[in-house]
Amino acid sequence: MKIEEKLYTLRYKRDEIPHLEIKDQMTCKKCEETYGTPQPCISVCPANVYSWINGKIVVSYENCVECGACKIACPFNNIIWKYPRYGLGIALRYG
Amino acid sequence: MKFDVIVIGAGPAGSAASLLASKAGLKVLTIERGPEPGSKNVSGAMIRVSEIAKVFDTSNLPAEREVKKIKLMLSSKNGDVSVEASPLTKLVTVSRLKFDKFLWQQAENNKALLIPKTTALGIEKDSSSYKVITDRGEIEGDKIVLAEGVNSLLSMKLGLRPELSPESTVQAIKEVYSLNKEEVSKRLNLSSDDGLAWRVISNSPVPYAGFLYTYKDSISVGVGIPMQELIERKIRPYEILDEFEKKFGITELVKGSSLREYSAKIIPEDGFPKWRACKEGIYAVGDSIGLVNPLVFNGIGPAIISGSIAGTAVTESWSCQKYVSELYNSREIKEIAKLRPIESEMLGKGYLSVYDDMITNLIESWISGDLSEVSQYKSQFPSMIKHLLMLWGSMI
Ligand SMILES: Cc1cc2nc3c(=O)[nH]c(=O)nc-3n(C[C@H](O)[C@H](O)[C@H](O)COP(=O)(O)OP(=O)(O)OC[C@H]3O[C@@H](n4cnc5c(N)ncnc54)[C@H](O)[C@@H]3O)c2cc1C
Ligand code: SF4
Ligand code: SF4
Repeated sequence: MKIEEKLYTLRYKRDEIPHLEIKDQMTCKKCEETYGTPQPCISVCPANVYSWINGKIVVSYENCVECGACKIACPFNNIIWKYPRYGLGIALRYG
Repeated sequence: MKFDVIVIGAGPAGSAASLLASKAGLKVLTIERGPEPGSKNVSGAMIRVSEIAKVFDTSNLPAEREVKKIKLMLSSKNGDVSVEASPLTKLVTVSRLKFDKFLWQQAENNKALLIPKTTALGIEKDSSSYKVITDRGEIEGDKIVLAEGVNSLLSMKLGLRPELSPESTVQAIKEVYSLNKEEVSKRLNLSSDDGLAWRVISNSPVPYAGFLYTYKDSISVGVGIPMQELIERKIRPYEILDEFEKKFGITELVKGSSLREYSAKIIPEDGFPKWRACKEGIYAVGDSIGLVNPLVFNGIGPAIISGSIAGTAVTESWSCQKYVSELYNSREIKEIAKLRPIESEMLGKGYLSVYDDMITNLIESWISGDLSEVSQYKSQFPSMIKHLLMLWGSMI
């Protein structure tokens, strides 16, 4: 089963304002030169939130399962990591 | 309106603190970012009832199944070894949404107040009390309990603890497959309502720990992988989960069932006593100070026990020194603190995978009557026995 299909099992309420942001795309370029691809944020994310497209990191924040891995994995502390506002984001049934 | 105590997070740790403080007559406000307690939380999950019962009334505990059998499996390129045991203490499986709501309800019955769908963003000191800034406004309180869980942004902002590093973090992902009750029992060879737990340690394709727990009408499976392995080997966590499910026959086991939920959360492998747990009237508990017994994924028990200690701390206005020494005085928390060096040894130097190899290798050669392998590992025996006893001891 593809990961995107697995994410369908989750209830999401989307926050219009992204709760994840890349501080500086130039740092991600440097990261790619040092670590190659996939970069650390891509390797650890269980929800394929990060992709490397045309030399830029694209963040599909709506898929985030709020695990907390990417902010730790990023060697350059280049991710602004917040919680979605007002309890938006995922809501688990089992947890 | 000003509160005596503001608790941030309504997980097991936050509910325990809220319960104790409200029972003592304090005016307690608890802030939870999820729509209801438990809705943002992830566990396997298996709990020891005796630990929960130290703080909460467990007579109506929403248990899924009582775990009657635990299977420990070690798997390496040499082969697989498995041991079965019956737990010596009462273990049950729970699903977090039901369980966390059950715990919170007891705090609420004692008049603790919950504001859900609200995230605390900062804490400021206001002469003698504190101001908690949330995404919906500000609230005032005399004391604060930080029960934010592993991603404790406030504790980090306040300088109580550092961010985790990839070397001290496990990425854990989990799936729940639903089947009817009879099918769960039949497929896992269980009599009626009995429960089963698997713990697996494998080193292929990377060292990881796997688990399987039975719920009433579903099966929960998952893996915890040292984050550093994922980064270095450029492997995704769900690839390891797939591997685990294939290798241990789980794919077959859940055939015909539907995937009900996919979730993930990191597990801390560092923390108290290295991290600070307290700062002038602010007390941190549970995962926010890394109180997880790493060898067995037991975090709920220590979260509840530390939460109850913080509940008393706010009631009796303890100094930080007193709070820290009381944390240390509890058996469960002391055990975690004592495990820290072994933990980093086992994760850091890849012991988990060395043992895996060694044990399976030894047993293979023993079965085939060749003991030449034994001398090769002699120097590792003392530490291996120490580590294994701890692993086993903390499991049952
Ligand atoms: C896959 C997996 C399997 C596990 N299996 C087990 C197991 O079988 N048994 C076991 O005992 N433990 C297990 N654990 C560990 C266990 O889940 C944790 O140790 C436990 O949940 C810690 O409880 P806590 O109350 O400290 O934190 P949490 O349960 O994480 O609760 C923190 C709460 O705070 C809220 N919150 C956070 N920040 C804010 C904020 N700023 N404002 C408002 N609210 C906020 C969160 O929404 C959450 O409700 C497992 C963990 C994982 C990831
Ligand atoms: S790990 Fe950090 S720096 Fe590297 S690509 Fe990802 S966000 Fe950018
Ligand atoms: S928090 Fe977890 S799910 Fe969300 S983007 Fe980061 S790694 Fe991916």
